[in-house]
Amino acid sequence: MDKYVYLTCTPEALVASMLPPEGFGLYLSTGTKKRNKAQTIFIEVDLEKIKDLIDMESLNRRCVAKEDGSPKSSVYLSVYRVLEMVPLDALKSLYLTTDHGVVLKLKKAPYDKAKEVKGALHLYQELNPVTPLVASELPPSAFVKRLTDGSTPITLPKLFFVELKLGELATNPLYGSAEHLPYQNIGHLRDCLEILRGEYEKHMKTVQRVFSGELLYRTIESGFYVGAKDDMVFYPYPSMAELENINYEFFRAI
Amino acid sequence: MISSIFWIVPVSALLALLFAWIFYRNMKAQEEGTDRMKEIAAYVREGAMAYLRRQYSVVIKVFLILVVLLTVLAYFGIQNPFVPVAFLTGGFFSGLCGYLGMKTATFASNRTAWAASKSLNKGLQVALRSGAVMGLVVVGFGLLDIALWFLILNGLVFTPDNMANGMSFLGLTFVHPGTTEHEKLIEITAVMLTFGMGASTQALFARVGGGIFTKAADVGADLVGKVEAGIPEDDPRNPATIADNVGDNVGDVAGMGADLYESYAGSILATAALGAALPAVTGDIQMKAVIAPMLVSAIGILLSIAGVYMVRTKESATPKALLRALLLGTGGSSALILVVLAVMAGLDWITWGVFGAAVAGLAAGVIIGQSTEYYTSDGNKPTQGIAKQAVQGPATVIIEGMAVGMSSTWVPVVTIVAGIIAAYGFAGGFSNFAMGVYGIGFAAVGMLSTLGITLATDAFGPIADNAGGNAEMSELPKEVRERTDALDGLGNTTAATGKGFAIGSAALTALALMAAYMEEVRLWLGRLIDKAPEGFKQIGDTLFYNSTVPAVQDGQTAVHITTASVRDFAAAYDLSLFNPILLGGVFIGGMMAFLFSSMSMKAVGRAAGKMVDEVRRQFREIPGIMEGTGKPEYAKCVEISTKGAQSEMLVPSMIAIVVPLAVGVIFGVPGVIGLLAGGMSTGFVLATMLNNSGGAWDNAKKYIERGNYGGKKSEPHKASVVGDTVGDPFKDTSGPALNILIKLMSMVSVVLAGLTVAWSILG
Repeated sequence: MDKYVYLTCTPEALVASMLPPEGFGLYLSTGTKKRNKAQTIFIEVDLEKIKDLIDMESLNRRCVAKEDGSPKSSVYLSVYRVLEMVPLDALKSLYLTTDHGVVLKLKKAPYDKAKEVKGALHLYQELNPVTPLVASELPPSAFVKRLTDGSTPITLPKLFFVELKLGELATNPLYGSAEHLPYQNIGHLRDCLEILRGEYEKHMKTVQRVFSGELLYRTIESGFYVGAKDDMVFYPYPSMAELENINYEFFRAI
Repeated sequence: MISSIFWIVPVSALLALLFAWIFYRNMKAQEEGTDRMKEIAAYVREGAMAYLRRQYSVVIKVFLILVVLLTVLAYFGIQNPFVPVAFLTGGFFSGLCGYLGMKTATFASNRTAWAASKSLNKGLQVALRSGAVMGLVVVGFGLLDIALWFLILNGLVFTPDNMANGMSFLGLTFVHPGTTEHEKLIEITAVMLTFGMGASTQALFARVGGGIFTKAADVGADLVGKVEAGIPEDDPRNPATIADNVGDNVGDVAGMGADLYESYAGSILATAALGAALPAVTGDIQMKAVIAPMLVSAIGILLSIAGVYMVRTKESATPKALLRALLLGTGGSSALILVVLAVMAGLDWITWGVFGAAVAGLAAGVIIGQSTEYYTSDGNKPTQGIAKQAVQGPATVIIEGMAVGMSSTWVPVVTIVAGIIAAYGFAGGFSNFAMGVYGIGFAAVGMLSTLGITLATDAFGPIADNAGGNAEMSELPKEVRERTDALDGLGNTTAATGKGFAIGSAALTALALMAAYMEEVRLWLGRLIDKAPEGFKQIGDTLFYNSTVPAVQDGQTAVHITTASVRDFAAAYDLSLFNPILLGGVFIGGMMAFLFSSMSMKAVGRAAGKMVDEVRRQFREIPGIMEGTGKPEYAKCVEISTKGAQSEMLVPSMIAIVVPLAVGVIFGVPGVIGLLAGGMSTGFVLATMLNNSGGAWDNAKKYIERGNYGGKKSEPHKASVVGDTVGDPFKDTSGPALNILIKLMSMVSVVLAGLTVAWSILG
C-alpha cells in the first residue's frame, strides 16, 4: 500500500497515512466509526521533497497496515510550525472536505498578476499559522509578500490563506450592496474596509481576530494561497457553475 | 325519466378507471432499475401499505360507530335510512382511491428514477402518468359512486309505485307515500349528498393522519440524521429516511387525493341538490339542473384523459419546457371545458348565467393557484424577502414568514369573494337567490371539472420527490439526480397550484354545502310538519305548513314549506348577525379553525418526539450504522410514525364531527349557520396563511441553499432552517387539514340537519 503525507490545516500538522486523499478526507471529517463530522482542509505533500526534513525511519515503522490488513489512517509526524518547515515546491493538490466527508480536489495553477483589479479591496481568511480575518487593499501576491518579507514588525515565515467574496463592497464599501454576504456584523466590515480607503498607507485591517474553524465554501472568491515573500502557490477555486460539473456531490453538499 | 345523455356520466367514470388501469399497467411495464433501487422502493412501498392498513383499521372502527349512530337516528325518523349505507360507500371509495394512488406512486418512484436516467422527458412521462392514475381513480370512483346511487335511487327505489304507496323496510321509511316527481329529485339528491360525509370523514383521517406521519418522519430524519449525525438528505444510513419517503406518499398522494375526492364529490352533489330544489322548476328542466353538474364533470374526465396525452416534450427538454408541457395539459383541458360548457348553454342544458358562473370558478382556481405560486416561489420577492431576513436571525425569519403568509391571503380572499359574487350574479342576476347559489355550486364544479389532470400534476410531485430520494440512496450518477431534481422542482410548482385549487374549491364547496344545508332544513321541516297533528310547524313567527293553511295571529306569517324561500327561513330562524346565537356560532366556527390547527400541530410535535428518540436509539445501539455496515431498522421508524399518527389523529378528527353535532343540538339552525360561516371564513384565511407561510419558509431555505447569503452552514441558513421547521406542520399538517375541516363541518351539519331541526334546544 502506498504512503501519503498531508499537511492539515486544523490543526496545523504533518500527517502520514496509507489512505489516498479522498479516503483521508473522509476519515478526517467523520472518523473511523463515521460518527464525527467536521470540515477539513489539507494539502498533499510530496514525500520525496521532504524526506530530509522528517524522520523517515519512524514513518516507515509506524505507518503500516493494521493487524486486520486495513490501511493505517493517520500517523502524526509533526504538529508545530509545520507550514514553515514544508517547502512550497513540495505542496501538491489541496483538498477540501464537507462535514460528512465529501472531498473536493483543487489543483495548483499559475497565478496571473495581470488579472488583479486595481483599487479593489479584498477579504482574506488566514488559515495558518495565524487565523485572523483580514480586510486589505492588497491583492493576494502583495498581501502575502507584505506579511512574510520582514518589512514590518508583524511578520510570518509563510502564510496559508483564502480569499473570500466581498461583492460590491470590494469597490464601494460604504454603499455597496451586502445583500448576499453572510458575514456577521456587516457594519463592522464596512467600517474596516472604509478605514482602508480613508487612511493613507493603511494596507490591512483585522476584521475578526478568531477563526470559527469553518469556511463557507460558497463564499470563496479566487481561491487558496500559500506563500512566502515572492513565492506563492495558488489553488484556484471554481465558480459554482464549474463546481457543479466538476464535483456534483460537493456542490450539493455546500 | 333519465335523459339518455346521462349515460355519459357512468361511461366517463368507467373510462377514467379504464385509463387509470392502462396507465398503471404501462407504469408497471417500465424497467425497475438496479437491485438497490428495487430494494429501496420496496421498503417505501411496504411502509406506505403498512401505514394505510393501520389507518384503515382505525377508520373502520370510527365508521362503524358513526354508522350505528346514523342508523339509530334513522330509527327515530330524523335521518334518512339510506344515509348509513351512502356514508359507507363514500368512505369506501375515498379509501380505495387512497390505496390505489399510494400503490401506484410507490411502484412509480424507482421506475421514474430509472426512466430519468435515459431522459428528462421519459422521467416526466412515467411520473405524470403514474400521477394520472391517482387523478383518474379519484374522478372515476367519485363519479361512478354518484352515478350508481342516482341510477339505483331513481330507477329502483323511487319507482312510481313506491312514490304512490311508500316504501318501508324493517320499520324504516325509505320512500314516503305520495311523493311527487318534483319531491323525488329533491329526496334523491338530498340522500346522495350525505355520501359526501363518508368521503369527508375518510379525507379528514387521511389528511390529519398523513400530515402527522409525514412531519414526524421528516423532523426525525432531519433533526437527528442531518443535524446531529451530519449525514445528508436521503442517506440510507438514516433510519428515518424511508419513513420520510413514505410520508411524502401518505401526505401528498393519499391525503391530497382524499381531500380533492371529497371536494369533487361534494361540489357535484351539493350543486345537484341545489338544482333539484330550484323553485318553480319541474320535469325535464329540474332533471337537467340535477344532471348538468354530473355531465360537466363527466366531460371533464374525457378532457383530462386527453390532457394527459397532451403532455409531451422533446427528449432534450429543459425544465421550463417541461412546465410549459404540463401547463398545456392542464390549461388545454380547462380551455376545452369552457367550450363544452358553452355548447351546453347553447343547447339549453344550462343557462348562459351558469356558464358564466363556471367560468368564474375556473378563473378563481387559476388565480388562487398563481397567487400561491407567487407568494411561495423563491423566484419572487416575498420568499426572497424571508431569505434576506435570515441574515438578521431566526426571529426575523419567523416574523417575515408569518407576515408573508398573512399578506398572501388577500389575493385568494378577494378572488373567492369576486368568484362567489360573479357566480351568484351571473347565474341568479342578483335577484334569484336559488339560481344564484346554484351558480356558486357550478363555480366549484367548473373549477374541479378537470380534476383528473390537475390531480395528476399534483400527485406527480411526490412521485418525482421519491424518485429523487431513490436516485440519491441508490447513488445514481449526477445526471440522473439533476433530472430528478428538475422533476422535483416542477412538482413543487404544480403542488402550489394544486394547493390553490384545493383551498379554493373547498371554500366554494363549503358555501354550496351551506346553501344545500338550508334545503335539508326545508326537507326535515316538511317531514316534521307531516307528523305534526296540527299540520304546521312554528319557527319564530313563521308557521310552515304543507297542506292546510293554518290560522295566523298578529305578527305571524304562514308559509308553504315547498315554496318557502331562504328569506323565509332566515326570518323564521332569525338568521341575522344580531341574533346572539348565530353570532356565537360564528365565534365557535372561527375558534374551531384555530383549535384544530393547534391540536394537529401539537400532535406533530409529540409524534416527532417519539421518532427522534427512536432514531437516536438506532444510531446509538446499531453497530456500524454510520459506517454503512450495520443496517438501520427502517420498519421501526415507519411503525413509530404510523402509531403516532393513528393515536394523535383521533382527537382533532373527532372534534370536527362532534362540535357541529353539539352546536346543532344546542344552538339549532342559527348556531349551525354561524358555525359554518365562522369556520369557513376563518378556516379559509387561516389555511391559506398556513400553507403559504410554510411554503415560503421552505423555499427561502432552498434559496439560501442555492448559494445566496452564504449557502448551507451559514448563519442565514441556520435561521432559515428554523423557519422551515416551524413551517413544516403549517403547510403539511394543519393547513391542508383545514380544507377538510370546513367541508366536514358543513357535511356533518347537512347530514344531521334532521336532528338539528327536530331536537335543538335553543335555536
